[in-house]
Amino acid sequence: MKSLQPFRKVLLLTLCLGSFAAIAQVRSVTGQVLDETSGQPLGGANMVISGSSENIPVSADGRFSVRISDTTTALIVSYAGYITRQINVGNQTTLNIMLTSTAGNLNEVVVIGYGTQKKRSVTGSVASVNYDQFKDRSFSNVVQSLTGTVPGVNITQSQGAPGMAPVIQIRGISSITAGTNPLFVIDGVPLEDFNMNMINPQDIQSVEILKDASSAAIYGSRGANGVVMITTKLGKPGKPVVTAGFEYGFQKVTRKIEMMDAQQWIRYYIAAKNNAWVDLNPSVNRATDPNSARGTSTLYKIPEEFMNSPEQFGSGTDWQDVMYRTAPLANAQLSVSGGTDKTQYMFSAGLLNQEAVLDQNYYKRLALRSNIKQRLSDKISVGLNLSLTGIHDRTEGVDGKSDVISLALQSDPIFPLYNENGNLGIVDPNSIWNRYLQYNPVNLWHPYATTRFTNRKNKAYNTFALGFLEYDILQGLKFRSALSANVSNNSYNFYRFKNQGYGYNQDLATSTATASTGNKLNWLWENTATYDFSVNEHDFNLLAGYTSQNERTEFQSVTASNFPNDLVQTINAGTVTGGTSTASEWAIQSYLARMNYNFRNKYFLSASIRRDGSSRFSRDNQWGYFPSVSAGWVISDEQFLKGAEGLSLLKLKASYGSVGNNQIPNYGAVGLLGGVNYVSNGNIIAGLKPITLDNAALRWEKTNQLNLGLDIAVLKNRLSATIEVYRSITKDMLLNVPIPDITGFSSQLTNIGKMRNSGIEILLSSKNIQREFTWATDINFSMNRNKVLQLGPGNAPIFYTDWETTVRTAVGSPVSDFFGYVFTGVYNNMTEIQNTPHEASTRPGDPVIADISGDGKITTDDRTVIGNNQAKFIGGITNRFGYKGIELSVLLQGRYGGEVVNQNYRFLGFWNSGRNLYAGAANFWESEQNPGDGKNPRPSANRRSFQQGFSTLWVEDASFLRVKNITLSYNIPQQVLHKTPFHNLRIYLNADNVKLFSKYTGYDPENTTYKATNYSAGTVAANTGVSVSSLPSGSMLGVDYGSYPLPMVVTFGLKTSF
Amino acid sequence: MNRIINLNTIITSILLLLLVSCGKSFTDLAPISNANTNNFYNSESDFESAITAAMNTLYSVYAPEGPVSYTGELMGDNATLYIIAGAQADKHAFRDYTIQTPNTMVYSFWRQFYSALFAVNTVLDKLQVASQVDVEYKKVAEAEMRFLRGLYYFQMVRLWGGVPLVTKAVSAQESYSILRSSEAEVYNQIKSDLRYAADNLPLSSNVKLVGRPAKGAAQTVLGEVYLTLGDKANAAKELLEVYNSQEYALQSSYAAVWGPNVKNTKESVFEIQYSSANASTGTHSPFYQFFFPNVNVLGFSGVGMNQVTDDLYNEFETGDPRRDIAISLGYQNGATFQEQKFYKKWIHPNATINGTTLLANNDFMVYRFAEVLLMLTEATGDAQYLNKVRGRAGLPLWGTAGYPTSRYGTLELALEHEARMELAGEYKRWFLLKRLNRAIPVLTAKGKQVTQDKLLLPVPDIVRLQNSAITQNPGY
Repeated sequence: MKSLQPFRKVLLLTLCLGSFAAIAQVRSVTGQVLDETSGQPLGGANMVISGSSENIPVSADGRFSVRISDTTTALIVSYAGYITRQINVGNQTTLNIMLTSTAGNLNEVVVIGYGTQKKRSVTGSVASVNYDQFKDRSFSNVVQSLTGTVPGVNITQSQGAPGMAPVIQIRGISSITAGTNPLFVIDGVPLEDFNMNMINPQDIQSVEILKDASSAAIYGSRGANGVVMITTKLGKPGKPVVTAGFEYGFQKVTRKIEMMDAQQWIRYYIAAKNNAWVDLNPSVNRATDPNSARGTSTLYKIPEEFMNSPEQFGSGTDWQDVMYRTAPLANAQLSVSGGTDKTQYMFSAGLLNQEAVLDQNYYKRLALRSNIKQRLSDKISVGLNLSLTGIHDRTEGVDGKSDVISLALQSDPIFPLYNENGNLGIVDPNSIWNRYLQYNPVNLWHPYATTRFTNRKNKAYNTFALGFLEYDILQGLKFRSALSANVSNNSYNFYRFKNQGYGYNQDLATSTATASTGNKLNWLWENTATYDFSVNEHDFNLLAGYTSQNERTEFQSVTASNFPNDLVQTINAGTVTGGTSTASEWAIQSYLARMNYNFRNKYFLSASIRRDGSSRFSRDNQWGYFPSVSAGWVISDEQFLKGAEGLSLLKLKASYGSVGNNQIPNYGAVGLLGGVNYVSNGNIIAGLKPITLDNAALRWEKTNQLNLGLDIAVLKNRLSATIEVYRSITKDMLLNVPIPDITGFSSQLTNIGKMRNSGIEILLSSKNIQREFTWATDINFSMNRNKVLQLGPGNAPIFYTDWETTVRTAVGSPVSDFFGYVFTGVYNNMTEIQNTPHEASTRPGDPVIADISGDGKITTDDRTVIGNNQAKFIGGITNRFGYKGIELSVLLQGRYGGEVVNQNYRFLGFWNSGRNLYAGAANFWESEQNPGDGKNPRPSANRRSFQQGFSTLWVEDASFLRVKNITLSYNIPQQVLHKTPFHNLRIYLNADNVKLFSKYTGYDPENTTYKATNYSAGTVAANTGVSVSSLPSGSMLGVDYGSYPLPMVVTFGLKTSF
Repeated sequence: MNRIINLNTIITSILLLLLVSCGKSFTDLAPISNANTNNFYNSESDFESAITAAMNTLYSVYAPEGPVSYTGELMGDNATLYIIAGAQADKHAFRDYTIQTPNTMVYSFWRQFYSALFAVNTVLDKLQVASQVDVEYKKVAEAEMRFLRGLYYFQMVRLWGGVPLVTKAVSAQESYSILRSSEAEVYNQIKSDLRYAADNLPLSSNVKLVGRPAKGAAQTVLGEVYLTLGDKANAAKELLEVYNSQEYALQSSYAAVWGPNVKNTKESVFEIQYSSANASTGTHSPFYQFFFPNVNVLGFSGVGMNQVTDDLYNEFETGDPRRDIAISLGYQNGATFQEQKFYKKWIHPNATINGTTLLANNDFMVYRFAEVLLMLTEATGDAQYLNKVRGRAGLPLWGTAGYPTSRYGTLELALEHEARMELAGEYKRWFLLKRLNRAIPVLTAKGKQVTQDKLLLPVPDIVRLQNSAITQNPGY
């Protein structure tokens, strides 16, 4: 029998048939299993005698000793990530068995939907990343460790706070309105909106990313954004292996934003107020007028000391220094794995204790796991994967705008860290700083007001349990039933101190507390049957299954205020002012089938279909089919190429598939009633009114993708490349089609749009030097082009505006073009103004706005496309060097092209209510003689609309190059360890986010305050579909409204096993 | 033996597969935390809920940062803005007559009105087909809803001129064919709605639920509609009926009109009801907080909307008690008193503060009897009504010796002055100036760049992107 399945099946088969083997003369053979390239021992490798069930223990240093009966005996040796070898023992008594790593090798086994496949037979586009590639990385979320290494997968670390999930885009932006997160599949269990931090990366065996539609089609209506599959570890038969690791390190913000110091700010403040005063009545008012002559409004008044003795303020307070610190991080890991041929297990515990760079913030995680698989009989195996993860954290600063990081930047540098009373701010009525209120607006959002005068804590607990039964019905025919549950519980406690230390600008807030909890239960029952069989040289693998899954989310929240003091901070001490509880549910049931076929292991064909029925759609539209077909041809195995010197592999593959996107609100199809209230006679009366329109026609978005790929390897696999091109069309795209507001609604979710993504991905791997000194290079490059082909009625472009920033999606353009005015400079004098189209109120010092429409006037028609966040291309280069156990790996990651919106320009680019400003704004236009840098206009405390408008000044180049990771490790040689109980011992130094090369004014061009669209945003809000009418946050990706910087993380670690 | 187990297992498995797959209802899930439209609008109590929700739309239309406030006060000469959060330039544009078509506030007003009309029209549509409700109930319910519709269209037609006339809940498809009606058509609808309301609503003393519109309210709005259309005879007819109904009277003093617990007095003709009893029901009165300057000195965040101009403050006659009841000079900030005038008719001292939100209890009167009296003088030319208002303020009556005739030499000017003083802050000023054809001279004299075109708001850009057949107002 020939099997398409990996070596495990071969093993199983041999085990089953083994008992018939005869026993004859016996002799002893000893040896060691080693890695072919490095010579490192492969401890715990699997070894069986061919044709027997006897399992030969391989020690942790790769040594084994076996008694065999005759010279025809063969040993089958396997090791995860290596090619399985069959070795004929012959007459030898010592054997050094060299295994070849499968990295880039066709016999490597990759996990695909509902099964595994040899890489050779993969006909879609699947990226596979093994544990070794991320084992030393310091990130809590394994996806973060893949950044810059997988072509076609754009992983953007939008915020640098610990535990913040990155934005993952697989092959471009797949949707405008529906969610854009990929589907996560954990040990076979598809989970939408799964928090990857709940899985300890040290427990992960491999991560597979299904990129093309044919691979993802087996996940049907949830496959359109790609699929990220996580497979956790299981022990191997043999002695128990204990591994322990500990790492310690620190995090630091290495790239601060250049803000004005006190002297620069005072100069700007004076100019802004004087200019506003003079502009108010230019014929009468003078910049030299004293405060007493400036009317009653504080808007025009300037503290005398700003004029007389500004030097007393020195350079003032750098609020970034106040807010950030060098934060330690510790991570301890312990696991035990092993088993017999009947039982395999893996137990692990990991404890992460991380302070955040932001004051008072932290992130702690305890992850426990137990994976067990037990063979009950020849035919039946059962298993249970159980993981319990708890995360406690305090995370602030990631909401931009009015969150602490953005607010600290807005705070004026003249104010001290503490006032003379030990309080934080200016609203302290007994402080000398209180007098600055007479000169409003001034701003001091003291970071401590948020971090030290509010308490907040998130607790999240996730239990994932997967029980399965596998039954070998007949040879080749297997049935598997798996029942799984993922239970998440979250709670959030918040307390704000009365007056917040007088530090929250001019708010003297009362004390408030919030306590909220959310829980989510997701259960799934999957029944699948697979059948492997061969007819002559035709191999078949058939799969059929039925699955049903349900998720219920509940949320409760209570708020209280009027606390008598700050001693007791729980709800009971205050007066309850509000409370809510909501619940929401979805369910999906599916039928699936797949056939994998090959002829002579050279010609491959695969076809699959899934039928999904989802509760999110109305009864008539609940079901949909998602088919796929793919084919592959290993040309290098053909006779006519056998002679081709140096060609190790040439494989062609093509696939086409259809996938859906069901990430819409749970009740998007139903017209919902919402509660509002009115009053009569002092009684509050509850009312109900429609808040969404009925939408029975709603159905999923469908993406059809064509993928063509070429795998080539030359020079004995020393140089290999994978090149893939794809083209996908998303149709029935869900759009919040703007509808006339006279309906009572602004938009309606409608399946109408069409969009195209096409791109090319290249992965090059080269083993440059393979001697005692080794040097290998991996290069990946991806390019995606996105184009909207069709929109709603009349193809009317879709505009979304949030805090001035406007994005436009129009036919013929990529999604979410930044849309605003083009500012070309600053007017120096009236003549310049009169010679160009200008707005009526324009004065010298005001920005020059390009008359894009050419009508001689400056109107809103002069807005145009001024950027887009999508990159021209992205890429990464990893160089790995090895010498006698020392390994050095350097990852460079980068993007070219595309823009980022620095939305904080709105606050920090020019006068905004007395906020601090970018240091660059100090080069403002003062007069024709002192025109500044020609970019920063004349300050004024009375702003005018066109200065405030979204313009090219807000848009910056998002290209960057980052030294993403450097890892230096040393394996203590076996000669040294020989006499110790340790099988291996490795020390390493890992540094992430080492250096950024970018011209961006903000912290990081990867920063985006808006998240990928996600309608099932956990337990925070009931998923009622009400949010449909507001903008989908994913449309604003690449807009940075004061995000969290990505700190450099340096860890020193030690890992050992015994 | 093994074979039997095999067979059994196979059969069981197949059965299980079949079992789970036949449950079609598995994916039929109804919303848990929301009622839905499929099971509502049947009983009277359903309709009471729906009408309550329709009444709730008054909160947004007359909100301190709502459409009537931005135009009625800021586009006149009563109010200005200093520091205010949000899209500042778009807000200042009302005061400065620099509104452009993409103005986000104008667009939000447009949406607020039509969203409110959707709530109202939905009730009207569903009433038509409701089989389980009493005919008499239907009649009053319809009148209540048509009162709101008439009132809203009356506000809208004065902001934009002719607007698309939507009188039932319409689908997106249907809505494309609804273009702007002429001003006259809109007024016809308003008159028809208010007429029906006036004919079918109970007297104020008989309303079923305090706060629901009464006959007098409908007639008062109708009176203002006629005045706006220049039909003084009909205006006088409606307003005199209100006057003679004995349902309404002036409070004994101007001070007695205001206060967090002064509610639904005889002076009140149509009053928006608020309650501070609960922080999470959205029913607290927002006016004090929003009209307070943009500072937090009292524990809540002032917004700084409609800050009072010196021009208004100075127009009060010496000894007019209304000035210091309506306007606060400023606020105490630590040791210093910060001068910045703001309206204090709706203050609620020591109200509960939830977070930085003040939970005030004051109602807001859309119409009160003093205005009915002023409109009666406007309609009839008879100063007696105006003099009742002046009399209550303790000021010399028009036509008597002490009256400042040097400044307000005609009854028209006296009326314009009196309305400004009496109704300061109540969103009336700009509409009155427009109605009296005085907006351009008065506002121009105060330095505003007003033209005839600018006395209407632009149709928002987005509206015309949604449906390019919608025309723009001249001058935009």
